[in-house]
Amino acid sequence: MAPQDKDDDMPDFSDVQSGASSTAPEAEVYETYEVKSGDSLSKIAKRVYGNASDWKKIFEANRDLLKDPDKIFPGQKLKIPAAD
Amino acid sequence: MKKLTASLLPLLLLGVQGCKKEPPPPPPSTTLYVAPTTTQPAVVSVAGVTLGNGIDANKKITTAVDTFTPKETIYASVDTIGTGPAKLRALWSFVRGEKVAKVDETTIEVNATGPTTNEFHVSKPSGWPKGDYKVEIFLNDGAVPVQTKTFKVG
Repeated sequence: MAPQDKDDDMPDFSDVQSGASSTAPEAEVYETYEVKSGDSLSKIAKRVYGNASDWKKIFEANRDLLKDPDKIFPGQKLKIPAAD
Repeated sequence: MKKLTASLLPLLLLGVQGCKKEPPPPPPSTTLYVAPTTTQPAVVSVAGVTLGNGIDANKKITTAVDTFTPKETIYASVDTIGTGPAKLRALWSFVRGEKVAKVDETTIEVNATGPTTNEFHVSKPSGWPKGDYKVEIFLNDGAVPVQTKTFKVG
């Protein structure tokens, strides 16, 4: 059973906070965020980091996927680097 | 001449005996013992996953539990063995019957030089809804989780 699109019958998990770490040196940690309709990098940054200006962090982490920071599409899976 | 020869004979015999060398004793047998070394396989694999409500300084679960209170932070500690680059992804989900809702998805990319311990954690300030959950651990973009742990909030 794979997670499905938001269902009004199911609880809301939009305020979940998460993190990770490793004993391996120089481990890279990031969340995977699936773009939804109406999203922008600055909106995502505001939600994740509390600061819309941090959209550049998200853009830089996804340069292989994003050519233009203003062009993101629903369904795209973005790497969201851990907050500093 | 005969007397001379006779008197010299013992000396001659001694000399012969002195010259006669015993074959050298065989050298003591030596067995070269090479202690076995524990080598890490060159591919990373997941050795185990434990759930709990706290971790220690080594990222190991302090007390393993599978039922949590709504206000607790939930930890999954994942041990790996092997060396090399690896990607570990934890997908947390809420399960109600046939329906599954995604809670969170976090990835760690490592370059392991030996065994590692990795922790993933989730918390919800407004409190976890009571019910059944699971966390699936994926390795290196695999489509199928290498480990799945179920837990409850109640």
